[in-house]
Amino acid sequence: MDIKNYVKKARSGKIDLIKNTKNIISECEKINKEYNYFNVISKDSAIKKAEELYKKDSKGKLFGVPVSVKDCICVKDVESRAGSKILSGYNPVFDATVVDKVKKEGGIILGKTSQDEFGFGSFNVNVGVDFKIPKNPVDKERTCGGSSGGAAGITKKLEYPHAALAESTGGSIAAPASYCGVIGLCPTYGRVSRYGLMDYANSLDKIGVISRNIDDCALVLEVISGYDNKDSTSLNVPDYKYSRIEQDEKKLKIGIIKESLLEGVDKEVKKSILRLVGKLKSKEIEVKEVSLPLVFKYGIQTYYLISMAEASTNLAKFCGMRYGYEEKIQGNFNDYFSKIRTKSFSREAKRRIILGTFARMAGYRDAYYLKAMKVRTLMIEEYKKLFSEFDLLISPTMPNFAPRLDEIDKLSPLENYMMDIMTVGPNLCGFPHISVPYGSKHNMPIGVMFTADHLEEKKLIEIGKIVEKIG
Amino acid sequence: MAFTKPIIIGLEIHTELNTKTKLFCGCATQGNDEPNTRTCEVCLGHPGSKPVVNKKAIDFALKLASALNCSISDEIIFSRKQYFYPDMAKNYQITQYEIPLGKNGNLKLNDRSIGITRVHLEEDPASLVHTKGIASSKYVLVDYNRSGNPLAEIVTEPEIHSAKQAREFMKKLITILEYLKIFVPGQNIIKADANISIRESGYVRTEIKNITGFREIKKALEYEIERQKHILDQGKKLSQETRSWNAEKQITELLRKKETEKDYGYIIDPDLVQIEISKKQKKEIKKQLPELPDEKFDKYVKKYKIAEDDAKVISSELSLAQLFETAAEKIDPKLASRWIRRELIRVLNYNDISIDEFMFNQKEFLNILDLLEKNKITEKTAKRLLEKLVEKDFDVKEYVEKNNLLVISDSNLIKDYCKKAIEENPDVVEDYKSENKRSINFLVGQVMKMSKGKADAKEVKEILEKLI
Repeated sequence: MDIKNYVKKARSGKIDLIKNTKNIISECEKINKEYNYFNVISKDSAIKKAEELYKKDSKGKLFGVPVSVKDCICVKDVESRAGSKILSGYNPVFDATVVDKVKKEGGIILGKTSQDEFGFGSFNVNVGVDFKIPKNPVDKERTCGGSSGGAAGITKKLEYPHAALAESTGGSIAAPASYCGVIGLCPTYGRVSRYGLMDYANSLDKIGVISRNIDDCALVLEVISGYDNKDSTSLNVPDYKYSRIEQDEKKLKIGIIKESLLEGVDKEVKKSILRLVGKLKSKEIEVKEVSLPLVFKYGIQTYYLISMAEASTNLAKFCGMRYGYEEKIQGNFNDYFSKIRTKSFSREAKRRIILGTFARMAGYRDAYYLKAMKVRTLMIEEYKKLFSEFDLLISPTMPNFAPRLDEIDKLSPLENYMMDIMTVGPNLCGFPHISVPYGSKHNMPIGVMFTADHLEEKKLIEIGKIVEKIG
Repeated sequence: MAFTKPIIIGLEIHTELNTKTKLFCGCATQGNDEPNTRTCEVCLGHPGSKPVVNKKAIDFALKLASALNCSISDEIIFSRKQYFYPDMAKNYQITQYEIPLGKNGNLKLNDRSIGITRVHLEEDPASLVHTKGIASSKYVLVDYNRSGNPLAEIVTEPEIHSAKQAREFMKKLITILEYLKIFVPGQNIIKADANISIRESGYVRTEIKNITGFREIKKALEYEIERQKHILDQGKKLSQETRSWNAEKQITELLRKKETEKDYGYIIDPDLVQIEISKKQKKEIKKQLPELPDEKFDKYVKKYKIAEDDAKVISSELSLAQLFETAAEKIDPKLASRWIRRELIRVLNYNDISIDEFMFNQKEFLNILDLLEKNKITEKTAKRLLEKLVEKDFDVKEYVEKNNLLVISDSNLIKDYCKKAIEENPDVVEDYKSENKRSINFLVGQVMKMSKGKADAKEVKEILEKLI
């Protein structure tokens, strides 16, 4: 059942909202024991919300719909840690704007989904100290993908209508969606307010949706998008309205990115993409090969330079003083801050703080950070040229399907970072993109990614529907 | 050029701007002093919160930069200055780095112009409270009420060459801030850090932190110059160090010896967007600046033709300038300026009252001057009235009539008083006649006494001279 139908039934009373919510919660708890998708399941507040909704005749677009929220998005009075020990016990004093919007539309917050600590990873294995690694819903020996691993995992595993609020900095929505076989949409930078999102890299972070089908995705995007004066980078543009989308008369024109199918890409993944391209062509959709040389040559380096530089400043605030993990304060503040940060940041967080700090030090700033900012501008231009001719670009979401957890352990940090080769481009440049499942190998899902021009989310929804129909 | 002077001083000044709300959130900048009450998730640096810039603060800083003749940048960009310190909510400060909002300005002093390197906008950190004094407190408390208040930072070229000039610079800067209505003395804090070096040491630089106000800066720098000379006199060498001004003990104290230049790892704050300042806006800002002290001075001298000294004093304080300009509409500007500059300031200083407190009585003060100008009261009466007015508000005209303080215009009566004085003091009259012309003042005094101060001393003198 999709969300729209569920809402209809909940409103008309055909679904017992309270009973159903209780069932969903216990299902989540059961799944969580095995798969680790939640850092917190907010059982009591979810049931309370269901009871409140039951009493009133709400017109909310998400009336009674269970929504999970990535741990890095603040939910008032619910422990929110961005997957890090350093935020243990931190209960935000305010709701993120997206959470507020979901609540106002009658959504029921299920809890906080697991992630790589602060979003620092592609496989959700870089979890914070004392956190558990979420497992792939299809094969527990494999990764969920990251960093929104819990969001994608629970969306796939939970047999109820549900949508997940996720977040992407360099591919953290598309990657896990691809590995778990669900829809993952990352909107244009600025389309959805970041207020209440615990920052990884502010100029890259975007809140988006992971869902079971395209309609759900479009509906939730409509709810969470819109200008917010509390986020200076929020775009003051007409709201995204899913209901207004009608199948365009005009045929879509798609560019297939040459570099995304070269060496390093799994054969089966490549085949899957080409098969889909064949089917699209048969629907008289024009597909032509295009090239993004700059993006594929410098995307990874540029992404990691900017994101780590920003991250190293964002993580400075965590020092065991005002909130989160703390110990008895002893000695001078420097020793105390160091002690807390040493204990409660994981290895990957420390690596990124050190690399990011290095990149912005005098003498390196110009060579690394500022140069990366300039390269980013050039990449946007490279994309924009293509979008003047094409509606969408197609590529695999990930170069492979979900690897085994023991394989990931053997990857060097650089090999690890290279997994983001497909997703860093649109993420760096703020372009909306969607990962849609298409094909599989040994049952493991494969994701295909479409990228559109800024604010052209409706084209992503449109193509998503087409791919969904092709099946 | 600078390295030919015996003393070289550069200032870095932080001034609070008088906005209602903080630089990046809606919390009040002033008000409830209960610690940590004027705070929110933004100024406490909670994860997920985001800054939104206060447009008023930008306006204020632009006015300041413009008044200091700076060139204004085409866009306003904020950066993160990152270092760890307990008073920093985010462990980085949002400030301006590469492109300050204003640069290459100047401020004119009496006999020179001091270059302004840059003017920029930044957020204030929280305040640290040492309950038992900084030396003996075992712990420190943090009050975030101040966290996020808007500060303007003004950096001068090292073109100040004495403690006196530094004082003059600070005084003038405060005057301009007041004129711009972006700063309220007593309510907003202004602090300076001073870099100072002297020729005798080969210009080894010392930085003195935390000097509040213009009176302290002179003392701090004087102390520091003496301290440095004293060390050199003993044959010792100076080392580069950072010191702090202890206003209580009136000494500078060592904070730290020379350290490697701190690297704050500045990046552009990605939570804030660039704000473009168009040419038109820049012109508009300049156009809307109020008349500043230098312009007022020129106006007073040229238009009102008052003495330069008086013009200087009056134009250097906004309240005095406003009072003078109101007075000059009704009363002879020369009389008004003389009275404001001399009598009013004297009486205020004597009573330890600030001009702003006195402003309530402005109307009555003008009434006194009015009566004086029309020769309805004597200068002496006027002074007495003013002294009274500073203490308590009252209706001057009514009081004058009620207490019969009007000048005695009946010259026959005064003549009688004069005659009486001459009769009663033959010795003095003799003295006067034998070339001691000054002794006539005694007789004038006698007449004034008889008239209870209501006679015009000048007139009395003339009558006496005639009679004798």
